[in-house]
Amino acid sequence: MPPATTVKLVISSEVRLVDVVHTASETMAGIAGFEEDDALNVGIAVREAVINAMLHGNRMDPSRKVEVSLQARPRSIRARVRDQGAGFDSGATPDPTVGDNLMRSSGRGILVMRAFVDSVDFKFLEGHGMEVTLHKKCVARKTTRSARPSTAAADNGGIER
Amino acid sequence: MKTTVRTVGQVSVVDLSGKITIGEGDVVLRDKVLELLDAGHSKILLSLEKVSYMDSAGIGELVACFKKAREKGGTVKLLKPSGKVEDLLQLTKLWEVFEIFDEEAPAVASF
Repeated sequence: MPPATTVKLVISSEVRLVDVVHTASETMAGIAGFEEDDALNVGIAVREAVINAMLHGNRMDPSRKVEVSLQARPRSIRARVRDQGAGFDSGATPDPTVGDNLMRSSGRGILVMRAFVDSVDFKFLEGHGMEVTLHKKCVARKTTRSARPSTAAADNGGIER
Repeated sequence: MKTTVRTVGQVSVVDLSGKITIGEGDVVLRDKVLELLDAGHSKILLSLEKVSYMDSAGIGELVACFKKAREKGGTVKLLKPSGKVEDLLQLTKLWEVFEIFDEEAPAVASF
């Protein structure tokens, strides 16, 4: 396996710190070899995971931490975001792209995550909170807009929180 | 995020620049739209050309502004969403909710 570059961040649940993680994620994606637009996609996806962890996991309790582990390898990146909350059923969240949900002012975080990286996996760690793992591989680009996010999450009834 | 408001006819054109994200841009957007609505300006065109990206909080705030304007008998329309913003509007299917324009003149004339 190619060598990895790892960064770990532990932050309190304060929204002003979300940008810190976003910037680190985008930088790590650049180290992994992602082009600028794809690196931004990684940053946005990890940002959403951190927002979810703060809002829904830690209930914005600043004493509760969010742990972020970013691992860059040549042509791929993995991010793990862990909160200190009680967990949730990621499969039970409503699809924000249908019916009245379209007009809700929240509930699109997981949809955005799934669209901007290759995989998003949720795991509840009993006594340790929810852990979200995001993974994205760097692919060769043939056009200038090939970094557009996948719409599959929405088209396949993407779930939201 | 920064905002500048221009009045074109009866329409308030809000030029946004930066990012519409949680705790910062979303608050600026909300405050500016509420300020316009409270002052009786109910025809609002948000120019997104210089917005680099949004997160789910920013997207949610766009929807909240749309709903708030509608409650007050007004409307919010969008102008020139940039690449990433356009992607997000399509992904979330809000492309079908908002009236979105590529040019300012027809956007202003549509109110």
